[in-house]
Amino acid sequence: MSVEADGATPILEFRNINTHYGAVHILKDVDLAIYPGELVCLLGGNASGKSTTLKTLLGMVTPTTGEVVLDGEVVNDKPTSYRVERGVTMVPENRRLFKRLTVKENLELGAYLRTDKDGIANDLERIYTMFPRVKERLSQRAGTLSGGEQQMVAMGRALMAQPRVLLMDEPSMGLAPALVQTNFALIEEIHDSGVAIFMVEQNANMALSIADRGWVLQTGRVVLDDTADALMANPELRASYLGG
Amino acid sequence: MTTATRAPTATQRTNVDRFLTLIRIALITFVTVGLLAFIAQQISPTNPFAEWANPGADRLTGSAFRELVISGLNIGVMYGLIALGYSMVYGVLGFINFAHGEVFMWSVMSGWITSEKLFEAGLWEDFFIPALLFTVLVSVTVSTTLAVVMERVAYRPLRGSPRLIPLITSIGVSFFLQNVAIGLFGPAAKRYPQLPEWMSKRYEVFGIPGLEVEGTKILIFVVSTISMVGLWYYVERTKTGKAMRAVAEDKEIAALMGIDVDKTIVRTFAVGGAMAGVAGILWGLLFRSVVATTGFLPGIKAFTAAVLGGVGNLGGAMAGGITLGVGESVGPLVLLEPLGIPGVSQLKDAVAFVLLIAVLLFKPSGLFGERLSAEDRA
Amino acid sequence: MKLSKKILVLLGILLSFAMIAAACGSDDDSDETATTDEPAETTDEPAAEEPAAEEPAAEEPAAAPAGDYLGDGSLGVVTVASGEAVQIRSLEAITGDVAFLGLPNERATSFAVADYGQIKGFDVSVGTGLDDLCSAEGGQAAAQTIVADEQVVGVIGTSCSGAATAAAPLISESGGVLISPSNTSPALTSDLAGTAGENYNVGYYRTAHNDLFQGAAMANFVFTDLGLTTAAAIHDGDPYTQGLAQSFADAFTELGGEVTGFTGVGKEDTDMVPVLTEVAAATPEALFFPIFQPAGDFIAAQAPTVPGLEATVLLAADGLLVDGFLELPESEGMYFSGPDTRFGENVNEATGKNASDILTAYEAEYGEAPSAPFWGHSYDATTLLLEAIDAASYLDGDNLVIDRAGIREYFSTVAGFSGIIGSISCDDFGDCGSQKITVIEHLSSADIEASKANVVFEFAPA
Repeated sequence: MSVEADGATPILEFRNINTHYGAVHILKDVDLAIYPGELVCLLGGNASGKSTTLKTLLGMVTPTTGEVVLDGEVVNDKPTSYRVERGVTMVPENRRLFKRLTVKENLELGAYLRTDKDGIANDLERIYTMFPRVKERLSQRAGTLSGGEQQMVAMGRALMAQPRVLLMDEPSMGLAPALVQTNFALIEEIHDSGVAIFMVEQNANMALSIADRGWVLQTGRVVLDDTADALMANPELRASYLGG
Repeated sequence: MTTATRAPTATQRTNVDRFLTLIRIALITFVTVGLLAFIAQQISPTNPFAEWANPGADRLTGSAFRELVISGLNIGVMYGLIALGYSMVYGVLGFINFAHGEVFMWSVMSGWITSEKLFEAGLWEDFFIPALLFTVLVSVTVSTTLAVVMERVAYRPLRGSPRLIPLITSIGVSFFLQNVAIGLFGPAAKRYPQLPEWMSKRYEVFGIPGLEVEGTKILIFVVSTISMVGLWYYVERTKTGKAMRAVAEDKEIAALMGIDVDKTIVRTFAVGGAMAGVAGILWGLLFRSVVATTGFLPGIKAFTAAVLGGVGNLGGAMAGGITLGVGESVGPLVLLEPLGIPGVSQLKDAVAFVLLIAVLLFKPSGLFGERLSAEDRA
Repeated sequence: MKLSKKILVLLGILLSFAMIAAACGSDDDSDETATTDEPAETTDEPAAEEPAAEEPAAEEPAAAPAGDYLGDGSLGVVTVASGEAVQIRSLEAITGDVAFLGLPNERATSFAVADYGQIKGFDVSVGTGLDDLCSAEGGQAAAQTIVADEQVVGVIGTSCSGAATAAAPLISESGGVLISPSNTSPALTSDLAGTAGENYNVGYYRTAHNDLFQGAAMANFVFTDLGLTTAAAIHDGDPYTQGLAQSFADAFTELGGEVTGFTGVGKEDTDMVPVLTEVAAATPEALFFPIFQPAGDFIAAQAPTVPGLEATVLLAADGLLVDGFLELPESEGMYFSGPDTRFGENVNEATGKNASDILTAYEAEYGEAPSAPFWGHSYDATTLLLEAIDAASYLDGDNLVIDRAGIREYFSTVAGFSGIIGSISCDDFGDCGSQKITVIEHLSSADIEASKANVVFEFAPA
């Protein structure tokens, strides 16, 4: 089934998912599987169904047919909060911080469902060491930060939920090229700490350079499913996404 | 966007701008002349400028002025408490819940029923403090329940529809609640039982000679302050408060944090209802009278206060309430009377709404409102 | 985005101006009605239909002048066919807050019609009681219905002066008469010195007093009996309260007193401290607020707390002379002016019934005492109208012919008519009331009936 299907249970899985917005058929028979500790990416152009994939994973969109499976459990009818509690979270596109709340409050909200006070304090410290800039701005409103700083807070907020799988929606969107580099370095760092990452990205080059595997989505259908290296070498993909 | 659609917009903007500038100038002129006439009249009612403005001018005494300010502050804090409900619901759901004034009225009504029953049982006079606390408890419970039920029955089914739809629904709910009150209790005015002597007595405040305030009014200030501080703590310092603010800003991401959005919205209505409940019982104690339409004017004023302070901003709602209360209390006698306008006290409501216009003209987002960027609104 | 916000602000401003305009609505109303009664070519639609429809009828009297009757046919005639009833109407405030005022009026009218019996063998029908809603709009709407029916020869009503300002011009132009048992605004008749009020219309009469007398009565009482020389007055913008407050102020000034404040409140106001502070500036010895509940409750409760008014004597008029207000402890010690309702055994000469008979019948029929004092006025007004119809009609074969001009002619000749309210005489502007005013002192909120009977001052025009 999957290239790296070595007997382990996928942490997150789509089984033959179809979704509709009204009469519009968005995702068509999509099968995906993310294994613990993996870094996988989903590539695709505009309106290919990337965002819908993420929303379906999180429970913000209910599939018309098929199953969303989290750790072996079918979670189709479970709310977002349940899935978050079970270790799935997301860094949304454009970061979507709570701009009127302080940086600290944003981070704390990431740990909303957690009750282990000490653990939360530890994780906060971890994030401060990871992003020293963030620590300086704790009591500032998130809306006053620069784009790069906001990206750090957004990642910090997601990490506060102690995710086992972190979904990333267009992490390079709206960032200056230099920041994109740092950002991907950070993603790798998080990945190295053992968190599985599922990244949706338009910047295919960048994404594939750090990913283990990748899918290509076209008008709601998975058209390519391979290792990152193989995808990099795929002439078809090179032509349409890799600019050359 | 083509240039063709842009061109008329540009000219329209300048015309609207010009008109608004004119109104601004007129307002400033009016306020300045009014204030100057007031100062002139305070210096001496017979000075030529004051005579020109109002031949029959009388000096406003210090004690009268103090009385006006205290009464204005009093009404103002109650407007503020009601305004919180408008502001919180607007913050979270983005529509004005016009039925909120009726929630307030129902609190005054329940306060009347409870105090009347206690009075009949002879408990109101003999055990005033516990009786009052019980009355407050009943009123706040009624208003909170009402607000929560209203959300569940009238607004939740409309979640996700355009904002105009819950807005219109809220007007309907408002009529419904008012008419139910008329149906149950009749259209006549109900009277709260007499308060004990020490409640209506005047007390010297802060040891300042001459600054005497009635017990009821002191109670209003104290209770409103406690409620405000409590609410501030709840919203700003607790986890649920944080969740509330998060939901207000971005429901989808709030849900992503694991926040139960529906529950948080219910809590928002409950807290707003409770604040209206507190305001209601205070109103009842001060005016000791209630009819089914009691909620209308305070509701409109509180809504005005919420907009004045910057809708969605809690401190702003309170500041807006106080500004409005003091403004409408002091305004007629300070700005209009010196200009020789007859029957100025009838213009109280007009002063309140003009105050709103004045603030919006100079600061369209309200006194403490934040300018939302386009991205925020998306 | 920015533009739409500006437009919003602009809309807000316009809206607020509209609200302000609405707040000053009562002024607008009086302006409108002031223009309609310029001896007007303002032909309203119903009036325009009217003459055309009456033309053929008007030819008849020339053909059959049978016997002695009032009228010259100048306003047309109404022919009641054999077996039909003479149509009159009742137009009172019978729903809403003011129903307490209008219902007894309507009921007394039906008593009077029943007691009077037939006119020249014809029954009299009041039809369904119409509602004046105590507002100009209500008065106008009801009057339009009335004038559309050419058989209607006269109307008893309205309850409220505000409604009469709109109803009287329409009924007047159609050639009918409107006789009110409880309108008291001076604007509807005259200033008692030969000048018509701004809302006066020919064909308008009333058995209620003119508030100029009530204002004068209160002023005399305060100045002469209480010996106070400074006073302030507060109204609520309604023509009735405004007129009464004004007549009090004028009479008080004329007596030599000083009116230190004259201002208004909103009917919905609760916080009266600002307005009381306004009048307290000159520390008046007396404060007259001829308004209604609930605004009156708030003034009575808050006045003693405002510096400068602690010792001020509080006075009100018949609007607050109601049980709900008298039961308030705050109203103790106040003085109230109102029509003299000590009717005793006064007899209505047209029906031969006396006041206590009618009261007994009323209580038997409705299980309660009349909720307002104008039932006697209404009874007398109705019998006057029936007498007028009798005087202005003649039999033409089997039909009854009523001359509209004759009915008005009758009212101009009423003098010394003995009614429930006393001796009734109409002046040139339609004031027919006995004009007897009493002032009562309210002693105890626990025994309001005793207070109502505690007359401390009587006033009747010289």
